[in-house]
Amino acid sequence: MSQPVSFLSRAERLIGTPEAAAIDRGIRHMAGLRDLAMTEYAISDEVRDRARAIRLHALSHLDRLLAHFTERVTELGGQVHFAADATEANEIVAGILQRSGSRLVAKSKSMVSEELEMNRYLESQGIEVVETDLGEYIAQLAGDTPSHIIAPVLHMTRHDVGKLFADELGVDYTDDPIRLNMVARVELRRVFLEADAGISGVNMAVAESGSLVLVTNEGNGRLVTTAPRLHIALMGMERIVPRWEDAAVILEVLARSATGQRLSVYTNVITGPRRPDDPDGPEELHVVVVDNGRSKILGGPTAEILACIRCGACLNVCPVFRTVGGHAYGTVYSGPVGSIVTPGLHGMDPWWDLPYASTLCGACEEVCPVGIRIPSMLLNLREIAAAEDRLPGWLNRGMKAYTAAATDPLRWARLKRLARVLTAPFSARGWIRRIPGPARGWTNHRDLPRPPKESFNDWWRENRGP
Amino acid sequence: MEGPRVQLVVTCLVDAMAPRVGRAAVTVLERAGCRVEFPEGQTCCGQPALNTGHTDQAREMATHTLEVLDASEGPIVIPSGSCTEMMVHHYPRLFAGTDREEQANRVVARVRELTQFLADDLDTHIRATAGDRTLAFQYCCHGLRGLGLDGPADHLLYGVDRAEFDGDRECCGFGGLFSIEMPAVSGAIMDAKLDRLESSGAEVLSGGDISCLLHLEGGLRRRGSEIEVKHIAELLSGEVLS
Amino acid sequence: MDRDAFLTRVGRAVMAAALPVPPTVSEALPELEQTDLQTLFRARAMEVSTVVHGPVTRHGTPRAIAGIASGHDARTFIAWDDLPVSGIPSALTSAGLTRIDAQVPSGEERSGHQLGYLRLDIGVTGADAGLAESGSIVLSHGPGRARMASLVSEVHIAVLEVGLIQRSLAHWARQSPGLPGDTANLVVVTGPSRTADIELHLNLGVHGPRHLHVVLVS
Repeated sequence: MSQPVSFLSRAERLIGTPEAAAIDRGIRHMAGLRDLAMTEYAISDEVRDRARAIRLHALSHLDRLLAHFTERVTELGGQVHFAADATEANEIVAGILQRSGSRLVAKSKSMVSEELEMNRYLESQGIEVVETDLGEYIAQLAGDTPSHIIAPVLHMTRHDVGKLFADELGVDYTDDPIRLNMVARVELRRVFLEADAGISGVNMAVAESGSLVLVTNEGNGRLVTTAPRLHIALMGMERIVPRWEDAAVILEVLARSATGQRLSVYTNVITGPRRPDDPDGPEELHVVVVDNGRSKILGGPTAEILACIRCGACLNVCPVFRTVGGHAYGTVYSGPVGSIVTPGLHGMDPWWDLPYASTLCGACEEVCPVGIRIPSMLLNLREIAAAEDRLPGWLNRGMKAYTAAATDPLRWARLKRLARVLTAPFSARGWIRRIPGPARGWTNHRDLPRPPKESFNDWWRENRGP
Repeated sequence: MEGPRVQLVVTCLVDAMAPRVGRAAVTVLERAGCRVEFPEGQTCCGQPALNTGHTDQAREMATHTLEVLDASEGPIVIPSGSCTEMMVHHYPRLFAGTDREEQANRVVARVRELTQFLADDLDTHIRATAGDRTLAFQYCCHGLRGLGLDGPADHLLYGVDRAEFDGDRECCGFGGLFSIEMPAVSGAIMDAKLDRLESSGAEVLSGGDISCLLHLEGGLRRRGSEIEVKHIAELLSGEVLS
Repeated sequence: MDRDAFLTRVGRAVMAAALPVPPTVSEALPELEQTDLQTLFRARAMEVSTVVHGPVTRHGTPRAIAGIASGHDARTFIAWDDLPVSGIPSALTSAGLTRIDAQVPSGEERSGHQLGYLRLDIGVTGADAGLAESGSIVLSHGPGRARMASLVSEVHIAVLEVGLIQRSLAHWARQSPGLPGDTANLVVVTGPSRTADIELHLNLGVHGPRHLHVVLVS
């Protein structure tokens, strides 16, 4: 997690930058593809209901599903580990790697590993970790963090990538995406084939069969879980569904919502390690089930957010995310979903301001493939922040005074007159260009109308009153 | 023809900042044959407090509003999608399990947004006019997603010369106190919208919520733009734009 | 954390969880398209850059595959032993291609063997099913069916019997509920490997095969 400065100050540094513009361009494109793919689904509401029902059912039976899943994986010769928090998870993974003498690890995209800051920990233990998703690989080379959960380096241009490859890999500069892609393919192919271990995330686990489902478009998720001798899968504990058919339903809405594809290129279903007569595949399989704050979320006011399938559709339509990009959120989970997940996982201190980074426009809920009621959960968290007295004094005092006025018509009339009197020195022809005090922020960007002399109440009394 | 008796709720912002919208609502409702009454003592629905997390204070304001409105009869009509949505969707939740639950449900069942009331309930023949000017219409978020007000608006705007306004279903960046708590973000969202508005060639901007419209109008004035801003009630009141 | 302690903690959270009531849904799976499955499969597969051939006869299949390989100037190939049509590997070797062994040894020789995949032109596999709505093929791996055959070559050629085309992933999953448990690895492939990570520019063949051919066999 990055240094806790406020969302607003991070956002202010990003607004109007090429990074923010690149993200806006990119996610508008992705949102358009999503719309096409979902409207093709004539019955998209029915499919969403089905996906929502599956996820909510899974959450309300989570302990039993995890127990069943663990039994199945163990029967198949895999090992399941349980990590209460980030420290435990990192130590478990480092322990597995050290016991097996692994030095080089090929890694496919895993949000959980970002959440755990696992790469940094493993590197401190002398283990080399190479990200293999093209976007994550670029971010790792650049020493940068992902700015979008589906498209990690949306904030970089092809020129940035070309320069990075020239500097870091010693290849000739090119900004042709096809050639940049070839460079990465050649660099990473050897890593896949020589790595001692592969680390992957898990999109979904199937309790009934003990299967892990992993989707990728590039194929790196398959290579990481096929070529190395050892496979370690990191799984947020909520990422489970009862049956294979349930997984199939989720997969269809996941790909459509994320990138507008009908299915991702590779849906990889792993059920235990390589079997005796299999020609290839990893000989050892470890699944690390991570809590790290999730059971706290499940027992709290935002439990429903655990139904999230990490498609990123809510990011792509969020007016705030479109303006500032993922880096403004300060952690790996950004956008509307991140504003709920982050305070849940890491506490309201210092993340209480993320739920306020929303206009509550509701575009997120509208596109969510599992119908998560994001705005209402943002309100739940705001209520908690206010109750914990985290809001600025002017806002608390102002709201108290406003409430007093709004519950008493005489005081309401006085408040309107007062507003007119106080704004007089700053007004010209009914508008205010600059005003001190809390509304300063408003007039930094736009004019503020001055309250007119005659309110509607006044007019009604004058013209329609008894 | 004796039309229905309606209770007009003008919202805090119309009362204090834009009474012309309330007057226009009176005019259009009367043109539609309604007998308009104005429940005395109305102030604010409480949404500002709900959105900042001051839920108890939101409940206090909502209680006041319920008391004022419960003393009246007939449909309650509001020229704001956002305040209507607050009452329709949040009041039942705010009072669930309290001794006001029944009152809240009783009042909320009477609440209608202005365009919804005109188009869906009255099936009025009245249509909006923007003179011979080209109109951009912003579908304000709470009304659009919470109440489905795009249908009524399009119905009432039939015949008006509409500009192609890219992003007219996207948030304008107002967000209530968001515009003051996160002014830079709010301002940047607004600027992007105003860029698209200006390139649409529209001469008039309209919408169903004065809150969003004042925010956008403030932005247009700061730019020195000539685009005029009108609430949809004003376009429906028969006021001829010069 | 110990497994039982972990699950107990989760169980307590489940008991405390205030989750919304899930929507009720019908048991029937939606059918989105009325087009016949083979036509739909062909159209959707082409949309994701898969080249669909045939249907060809079983007898004609090896020659068709050798033709595809020569179109790619291929020199080496890897293939499943368990292919739905016989004679394919021999057709490729008689066309001058060298077959690379797909059996990965365990222990020290593992990585040495796999480095032999660095320059692999063709991978040939069968397919357990085709999925019409997404234009996908399903491959279940196991004895005689190497995972690498659809993964490390420049070109992947899959042989799919026309009768195995199903409506969608969800429909197929309902028909084969136990399938994932029968094999250590199953993959649904929807087009050649692709990425859009650099400025959303669509690139094929980032890590997996750049070309995917599906040969339909009647």
